Amino acid sequence: MTRRLVLLQVAALAAVFAQPAGLIPLDEAGFPKLIASGKGRVLLVDFWATWCAPCRAEMPQLVALDSRYRSRGLKLIAISADEPEQEAGALEFLRKHNVALPGYIKRPRDDDRFINSIDPKWSGQLPALFLYDRQGAKARSFFGETDLSAIEAALRKLL
Amino acid sequence: MGRWLLAACACTAVLWGQEFKLGSQVGDFGVQDLHGNAVQYSSLKGNVTVVVFIATQCPVSNAYNERMKALYSDYTPKGVKFVFLNANRTEPAAEVARHAQEHGFPFPVYKDDGNLVADRFGATATPESFVMDQTGAIRYHGSIDDSQVIQRVTTQRLRNALDAVLAGRAVEQPETKAFGCSIKRVGKTS
Repeated sequence: MTRRLVLLQVAALAAVFAQPAGLIPLDEAGFPKLIASGKGRVLLVDFWATWCAPCRAEMPQLVALDSRYRSRGLKLIAISADEPEQEAGALEFLRKHNVALPGYIKRPRDDDRFINSIDPKWSGQLPALFLYDRQGAKARSFFGETDLSAIEAALRKLL
Repeated sequence: MGRWLLAACACTAVLWGQEFKLGSQVGDFGVQDLHGNAVQYSSLKGNVTVVVFIATQCPVSNAYNERMKALYSDYTPKGVKFVFLNANRTEPAAEVARHAQEHGFPFPVYKDDGNLVADRFGATATPESFVMDQTGAIRYHGSIDDSQVIQRVTTQRLRNALDAVLAGRAVEQPETKAFGCSIKRVGKTS
């Protein structure tokens, strides 16, 4: 029994150390790879920043959605649009709100191209949420403050 | 059936509302000064006009306060008129006035109650800027520059557009992404 407990503790520690120390930078090439790696699941991609009050306010609700629908195939991916100076604060915020890690941070070479590649209708404003279906195709975009019930209704259709 | 479809399309266009697009003429519109008086764009515009949607609580917009003041002082002598608009339902006129005073804005800020003007421009973020040329057509739409951190700015997007329009040249980069906070529109929950 004690040995099993020790093993569990070791596994938990290993999981902690397996997480990257910071946020993973995402550029123009990294984003589509991230979406492709999530094929088979419905992805709720949340672009947020520590300076964005509505983003901070909705994060606990997004985490709640993620836990409610995770077993049915949902995965929340949080991508910070913070500047390098705020990266540590962004990671701390994600940990405090139990957001599934790893977290990501937007670091494109050309921000306008990066934004356009995700959705040409997106001005880059935050909050911005994108839903991808199990095939990795973008199904919905939500810009600005969005009623969480609308997001939940959209993702339920994809699950 | 066709008539219904047409009506539905027109309704959608009205709902989304973007009427002024890059290259198109900007018609007259009404805003409110911070005492609640109605003011027409036609009385504010000049030969070349800049409309900027700004906010009091958005850190990105606030990061541009000094840059907006510099733009105003650099380009007003060149005949450019500036119209700074606050379309956020969450930021009443009294707060906008206090904010303008605290930051020493040398220019007036107007309210766009009900975000009707933001809808007509299709503006979604703060800060987001539009440059109208001598014919009243939109020649630039987007961000003021390419980084909210002034030390990282590599391209003066709005200044470049203004210099081009004033010189009668084509704007090299007529549309850029206006990164920042979303405009807090009426009928949306926070």
